[in-house]
Amino acid sequence: MKVIRDLFRDYRFVVSFLVLTVLVGLVVLSAFSPYDPSRWLQTPKDLPPSQEHLLGTDSKGQDVFWQATFAVRNSLLIAIIAAGLSRVIALLIGLVAGYRGGGWDKFFMFITDSFLVMPLFLFIVLLAMLLKDRLSLVTLGLLLGVFGWAWDARVIRSQVLSLREREFTKTAVLSGTKTLSLVVKEYIPHVTPIVFTTLINNMSWVIGMEITLAILGLLNMDIPTLGVMLQWAISYQAMLLGYWWWYLTPTVLAVLLFVALYWLSVSISEYLDPRTRIQRVGMG
Amino acid sequence: MNMRWRILGIAFLGITILTIPVFSQLAPSLPRSETLIVDQLTGRTGAPDNFNEWVGWKWRDRGMQQLMNEPLWSIDFATGEIINGLAATLPEYNGDFTQVTIRLREGVYWSDGVPITADDVVFTIELIKSTPGMNYQAPLESNVNKAYAVDEHTVVIELKQPNSRFHTYFLDRWGCLWIMPKHVFKTVTDPLTFQFNPPVSSGPYVLHSYDPSGYWTVWERREDWDRTPTGILFGMPKPKYVVFRAYGDPASKVLGMLRHELDSADLTAEALKAVLAQGRTVRAYQPSFPWVVNSDPCITGLTFNTMKPPYDNPEVRWALVLAIDIVNYESIAVDGMAPVSPLHIPYLPGYAALFFEPMEEWLKEFTLDLGGGETFKPYDPEVPFKLAELARSRGYAVPETPEDIKTAFGPGWWKYAPDVAEKLLTKNGFYRDEAGRWHLPDGSLWKIRVLGRSDLSHLSTRNSIAAAQLWKEFGIAAEAVLSVDFSSLGLTGEFEVTTDWPAFEPWGAGPDLYRTLSPFHSENVAPLGETTPGHVSRWSSPVMDQLIDQLETTDPTNVGATAAVGIESLKVLIQDMPSIPTFNYTGFVAWDEYYWTNWPGIENPYAQPYVHWGPFKYMLPFLNPTGR
Amino acid sequence: MLKGGRLRFFRRYFLPRLAQYLLVTFIGINVAFFIPRLFPSDPVLETIGTIRSQGTYLDPATVDKFISDLRELYGLEGTIGEQYVDFWKRLFRGDFGISLFQFPEPVLSLIGKAIPWTVGLLLTSTFLSWLFGLVIGGIAGYYPNRLWVRALDAVSMLVRPLPYYIFAFILLIIFAYVVPWFPLGGGSSIGWRPELSFRFFADVIRHAFLPFISLTLLGTAAMYQMTKLVVQNINAEDFVQYAQLGGVKGRAIISKYVLRNAMLPLFTNLVLSLGQIFGGALITEIVFSYPGLGTLTYHAVVSGDYNLILGVTTISVVAVTTCIFLADLVYPLLDPRVRYR
Repeated sequence: MKVIRDLFRDYRFVVSFLVLTVLVGLVVLSAFSPYDPSRWLQTPKDLPPSQEHLLGTDSKGQDVFWQATFAVRNSLLIAIIAAGLSRVIALLIGLVAGYRGGGWDKFFMFITDSFLVMPLFLFIVLLAMLLKDRLSLVTLGLLLGVFGWAWDARVIRSQVLSLREREFTKTAVLSGTKTLSLVVKEYIPHVTPIVFTTLINNMSWVIGMEITLAILGLLNMDIPTLGVMLQWAISYQAMLLGYWWWYLTPTVLAVLLFVALYWLSVSISEYLDPRTRIQRVGMG
Repeated sequence: MNMRWRILGIAFLGITILTIPVFSQLAPSLPRSETLIVDQLTGRTGAPDNFNEWVGWKWRDRGMQQLMNEPLWSIDFATGEIINGLAATLPEYNGDFTQVTIRLREGVYWSDGVPITADDVVFTIELIKSTPGMNYQAPLESNVNKAYAVDEHTVVIELKQPNSRFHTYFLDRWGCLWIMPKHVFKTVTDPLTFQFNPPVSSGPYVLHSYDPSGYWTVWERREDWDRTPTGILFGMPKPKYVVFRAYGDPASKVLGMLRHELDSADLTAEALKAVLAQGRTVRAYQPSFPWVVNSDPCITGLTFNTMKPPYDNPEVRWALVLAIDIVNYESIAVDGMAPVSPLHIPYLPGYAALFFEPMEEWLKEFTLDLGGGETFKPYDPEVPFKLAELARSRGYAVPETPEDIKTAFGPGWWKYAPDVAEKLLTKNGFYRDEAGRWHLPDGSLWKIRVLGRSDLSHLSTRNSIAAAQLWKEFGIAAEAVLSVDFSSLGLTGEFEVTTDWPAFEPWGAGPDLYRTLSPFHSENVAPLGETTPGHVSRWSSPVMDQLIDQLETTDPTNVGATAAVGIESLKVLIQDMPSIPTFNYTGFVAWDEYYWTNWPGIENPYAQPYVHWGPFKYMLPFLNPTGR
Repeated sequence: MLKGGRLRFFRRYFLPRLAQYLLVTFIGINVAFFIPRLFPSDPVLETIGTIRSQGTYLDPATVDKFISDLRELYGLEGTIGEQYVDFWKRLFRGDFGISLFQFPEPVLSLIGKAIPWTVGLLLTSTFLSWLFGLVIGGIAGYYPNRLWVRALDAVSMLVRPLPYYIFAFILLIIFAYVVPWFPLGGGSSIGWRPELSFRFFADVIRHAFLPFISLTLLGTAAMYQMTKLVVQNINAEDFVQYAQLGGVKGRAIISKYVLRNAMLPLFTNLVLSLGQIFGGALITEIVFSYPGLGTLTYHAVVSGDYNLILGVTTISVVAVTTCIFLADLVYPLLDPRVRYR
């Protein structure tokens, strides 16, 4: 309880929490959508926002607002799966390789480098082409997660390498602290800011990747995600025809999503780091 | 703090400096008022240094087929004429079509001053025939026995078997076999890898420069343009320079046109709307809705894989036709802008008199047998008016008279009759479950995957999306599968329904439908698992085979007889419906009249309107510079 | 520094890394060889499909022969084993073979034409955005509560999540259409044959400016955020507090204490970014019609052009592994506390 109260003292946490609640609200609303998101001609085309259609309609004959609820839901799903999977992998590998060193380090770095070396984009495109039929949201999330950890694993590992040589590590080892508790209690808070930054990087990379794949025509265009929605708007020249409600919606939503996540991560990581917490919250 | 200001200062200075030089996109040596800039349909050239179009695919719409090469003959589908290029007259066949004589035009020279003679033609034929890997090697080898020059301007070709259409290999309808300069190619050791750079032109323009990365190609008018067929027939091409530019996407083309940096562009439906709305000097092919080039000689639609059940059953195919509401279909695909066609040929002005009007009665009377004594007449001549209604509801200005409506929207199409479709399906063992979803006779859920290209601006993709939507509404679990392997999958038969051309396009002029029909001949159909050389529907029928054989022995210059065979074959195609023609390929062409006017719009169709086809060179003498 | 243990360094540090580097490169190239062949895109059928759909009437009676002729021409006739061996033989001669779809252009020449554009654009952009982000982020992390820092925070936060396509296209519309200061696309002006002149160079820069800005702005924003976070973390360390108490000037603290400690992860970032250059920037190239490796690679993938895919992948793999290898060598120099067991 106290934790939550302390967190709420940070205005950034408050704002991001609110924004995320709204977005999650949209996700929940998607279950009540009166329109089928994969069907065309459900409404008249290209209407600007009005009472009946809060965010107007697009050139496919769909209501932009209800489309957006599905888009947010699907994009979040992909991003969570992808970023989650890749954080877990990156953290595990980075920590173990950095701390254990020796054979473990060599082995893990070998795998990491193999992944880093592959022209990421090329292989994602190749695999997306191969899986095109079975490229559901979950599969896409897993695919992007599997490719997104290598970079950050190295970063985490280098951070751990630095930490390992610091005074407090030597102190802890001398005083008999077990490896696991050392890692968990002491390193993770140091590593957390990096993990959170990279989480945000990763989620925005995932969404960017998803949009790129959509623009290249490799995603299933019937399943609305932020990227797919944007791609429809781009292909149908929404910008040049002045249908601002159609292309601004996924853009603004993406921006909001990112800002919320970023502020959330910054405030949480500042909270977790004992020194900054004291600076912010006081000794109480 | 200091660093910040320094950085800002440098950035500001940089921007100021960079804006000083030339503002336009052209190098200073190309005067804009004498330059025509058009877009390159096939995108960025992949092999920019290579001008050898006799091997492989060389992005020849970068100016090669339009400006550099003059073919023996061309077809202009807008006027319906065959234009004699390097040839002086139409080909002369002997009585049993085993020998053809070609008379060349006199006074025609290559751009390096060498005269074009019969030797070039003979050399071309012999070189290609003896070099496997060249595009036309196989047909020449199987057709040509001997080719020789009788005199400087006459070539005689002896064929191995009768072929009344042999000359069509040299007829530029959409590309053809062009004539090589013998004096250049005879010293080449490997013609397959020869780059032909710099190229020697038979047409009115020569290569000026090109982008090593493939984004643009500049052509300059020949000084001796009057020694080319274009010059002789039509006069001096007005633009001194012609630039072909490849853009990344339609939005950039629109912006380019609005900045007067692009004079002609082939866009998408929405991009066309955008540029017309924002550009003050921009016009489309038609001055008002539907704006599109409706006389394109290609027909788009859906093609069944007739070797895969249940699509091997013509009644199932017909049911799927009747399940489509063509008005909604067009709304989804092209916002109602394209003319529909019920026949497997596009609705062209030249074909209206030859095929559509004579078949009107038959179409109206055509009957489907639903079993149990029930029959149904599926043709609906009211479709163009329904499409006009759709356009009106979208706020477009629609033509008023029935004639104009038919020109804009087509003569008619098949009725939307889901109840009849149901009868046909239940007759064949299909059934609906409680949720209304269709099941195959074997009990499984009926899923249709409609194959389309991955490019959303391509009409085949739009067809696949529309078909999937409409069949979904009917209760079938249909989905549009947009694939980058579109060509490979089609050729190997790994699809159920695809959106490849429902029939190969005919010549665009004249009564001869041989090009459309011969791919359906049973000798061109391969079993599943092998690549098929004929039409990807892998359909054939003994009746059609007979008609094709009959057509082969009919003299193409006998309009009445050729058209009659054509009409009979079109009837067979409708009865069996191996593929569903939906609407004409529509060109969403926009022209900017800021620098050049007198484009061949619908009110002045002196030539075909596209810049990516050969006859573009015949448009150039008629364009007028505005002098800006 | 390492004088006495130089031989030891060589043996225990350098050699294993070298071996690893070679092995990883080898695996990367192998993957690039085998995976495209798993795909349904058949380069011969794609060529046939394009030729047919763009005009040549392929007489059905003779298509089969044409296909087998092409297969032979493209060198796709042998078994996979034969093709594999052949590939390595050619590779050691520096010959990547001939592009299958853009026949008969040699792969190396295609890549060679695209590389100057990609490297020129991305190298400057990556490096400059890293530098700017580092410097600005470092200062910002040290003075997190100043007004300009907060303003920058807000701006970078709004700019980063913008889908890159939209960001690039908006730049294009504003600076190439609304105020037509810059060209709409291309690498250089039309009709201008490349020459060594200041005017041509200025022309190239003008064309590269918008793509450069779009990439650098986003890159700087990302780097800025990352640096700021890392620096804020280090800021709270004891030695920084001591330095402040001891009266060391802010600037000195930042450059001598804070940034040097932050170097390790940030340097990793730079090195990996530089390695990724050879992937090209596909969306940039599409929006600005800019020549480069991105579109080359993409078209290679889509048309199943095995040789070109292999060529681009090999170069990319070698570039990235080399960067990582060099980075590993430089680590001990940056952070002397790094020891290897």
